[in-house]
Amino acid sequence: MSAVDIDLRLVRKVYHKGRMNITVLDGLDLSIEGGDFAVIMGPSGSGKSTLLHLVGGLDSPTSGSVRVGDAHLERMSERELTAWRSRHVGFIFQMYHLVPVLTAAQNVELPLLLFRMSSAERRKRVETALEIVGLKDRMDHRPNQLSGGQEQRVAIARAIVTDPDVIVADEPTGDLDAKTSTEILQLLSLLNSEFRKSIIMVTHDPRAAGFGKRLLHLDKGVLERDERHTHPVQPVAV
Amino acid sequence: MPLPLSYTWRNLLARRLSSGLTFLVVAVVVFVLSVLLSFAAGMQASLKAANSPVNIVVLKAGASAESTSIIWDDEVTPLAQTPGVATNESGGQLLSRELSVQAPVPRRTDLSRKANVPVRGVDDIAFGVHPEVRITEGRSFVQGQMEAIVGRAARGRFANLEIGDQIALGRQVNRLFRIVGVFEANGSALESEIWAPRTVLTDSYRRTFASSVHLRLSAPSAMPAALDYVNGPSVQLRGKREGEYYEDLNKKTREIVYLASILIGIMSVGAAFAVANTMYAAVDARRREIAMLRTIGFARRSVISIFMIESVLLTAIACAAGLTCAAYLGGMKQDYLSDKTWTVFAFELKMTPQILAICFAVATTVGVIGAVAPAGRAARTRILDALRKA
Repeated sequence: MSAVDIDLRLVRKVYHKGRMNITVLDGLDLSIEGGDFAVIMGPSGSGKSTLLHLVGGLDSPTSGSVRVGDAHLERMSERELTAWRSRHVGFIFQMYHLVPVLTAAQNVELPLLLFRMSSAERRKRVETALEIVGLKDRMDHRPNQLSGGQEQRVAIARAIVTDPDVIVADEPTGDLDAKTSTEILQLLSLLNSEFRKSIIMVTHDPRAAGFGKRLLHLDKGVLERDERHTHPVQPVAV
Repeated sequence: MPLPLSYTWRNLLARRLSSGLTFLVVAVVVFVLSVLLSFAAGMQASLKAANSPVNIVVLKAGASAESTSIIWDDEVTPLAQTPGVATNESGGQLLSRELSVQAPVPRRTDLSRKANVPVRGVDDIAFGVHPEVRITEGRSFVQGQMEAIVGRAARGRFANLEIGDQIALGRQVNRLFRIVGVFEANGSALESEIWAPRTVLTDSYRRTFASSVHLRLSAPSAMPAALDYVNGPSVQLRGKREGEYYEDLNKKTREIVYLASILIGIMSVGAAFAVANTMYAAVDARRREIAMLRTIGFARRSVISIFMIESVLLTAIACAAGLTCAAYLGGMKQDYLSDKTWTVFAFELKMTPQILAICFAVATTVGVIGAVAPAGRAARTRILDALRKA
């Protein structure tokens, strides 16, 4: 799929906790071009994960609009959002969230089960995705037979196997050591530069931020800084 | 496209203890249910075979079984006037007066344990009244001789009933009758009996009466008029259709089946709770997994189907195991002590396709009912909460 623009206008997100209203995002305006690699940083509670969930269609804004490509997410029902996510977004989590009883290939195949597709086509796509992340030789391994870095690679393969418009990554290196983190970040960078995938990544790690093309600093629900890296860390082929 | 079956199967294996216990509970329910239904089917088959639409069993008014019925010779005479009674080739009326007594015979499985086996004294006309009775081995007895023939089911269950063996009959159990033949009767209750010449048996038991009179009509359409006559004022006896008579004998069995069905119903509810417990544990243990599936685009109904399929697979496998255990009893010959005659009927446990279907239906229903609430909880999982708690 071609890269799509992301556009947030006057987005407010308010959570209700008892009688208290907690404003997490407060009138946020943000545009991310298709094919960008945006890194979102900020202290805990700044609204970065909420922003990621809104762009990924996991949550809806209290007010304002969230547009990803042609889709106006704030107008969609929960059922429509679920279907939209399956076709347009790839998710990468800090804890990988692989299904422990399935092999690497079966985990990667999961999103494809939602598509009308022959098993041969699914198999081909799974192999390609695992090849991109360098784990074609681990297809039949279960998660407990893989290292943390390999598990995250499988999760990345699962995120890209449907060829989504956007990849959202929530602390993808938060549970990995420095060396493995670098490998994962290089892989994401490769997906962005070689495959033109729009990536939005939340991280606390300033070193990880160096891999993005754009750095967004959130604080108290407001975009505090918006910097563009002129020389992001270059990807290395896996 | 559903998730691969390996996903369902391995998830069941991942929680071996709770899955195993649920498996056991459902398997036991299915086992008990299938044995009960086989028992009922076996009894029913045995009675069905003894359900001629043209035969009437006549007893003393007030008697519920042949063993408690006394019919004097002068009471038999008016029965010759019964309308519609068939005749044999030589013109003789198909009217058979029969004596029912019992004899203690050791069981094949335990020679020290004796059971009361029904012994029927008949004249030759009885073979015309009960045409389903066929000699399959040896020969029939000769009237006036101390000879006997045994039903196939009786020979299978009891000892010393082979051709050539002698069996002690009579009031003092001191008259030795030689077994000269084996008979079949379409698997009916008659196959549980020993037959001997009526006059010899009457003498051996010092009886001066018959227990019952069996009439064979020329056509089923003659039944109402014949029954009206037999039960009317000129006879003063009580006639029943043969099928009705054996149904009445089996009343207790039906009551047992009914009560056992209630018990199985309660057990099934317990099994559904066991399934629910297991599935709740599965849902709680896999909240992150559910949230991930919902995140990548699986709809709520897909999540529901995941747990439904898992539950039904578990109960279906348990059902198969329960039926396999029950199948070891299938075809096993059982005996049943009638509370009416105090004699033992032999019958086979019958596993029929209907029983298999009922067992699978019950197991599947237990699986579905047990999974409804847990699957609903899984479908309501709040994605962001579950991911945050990871």
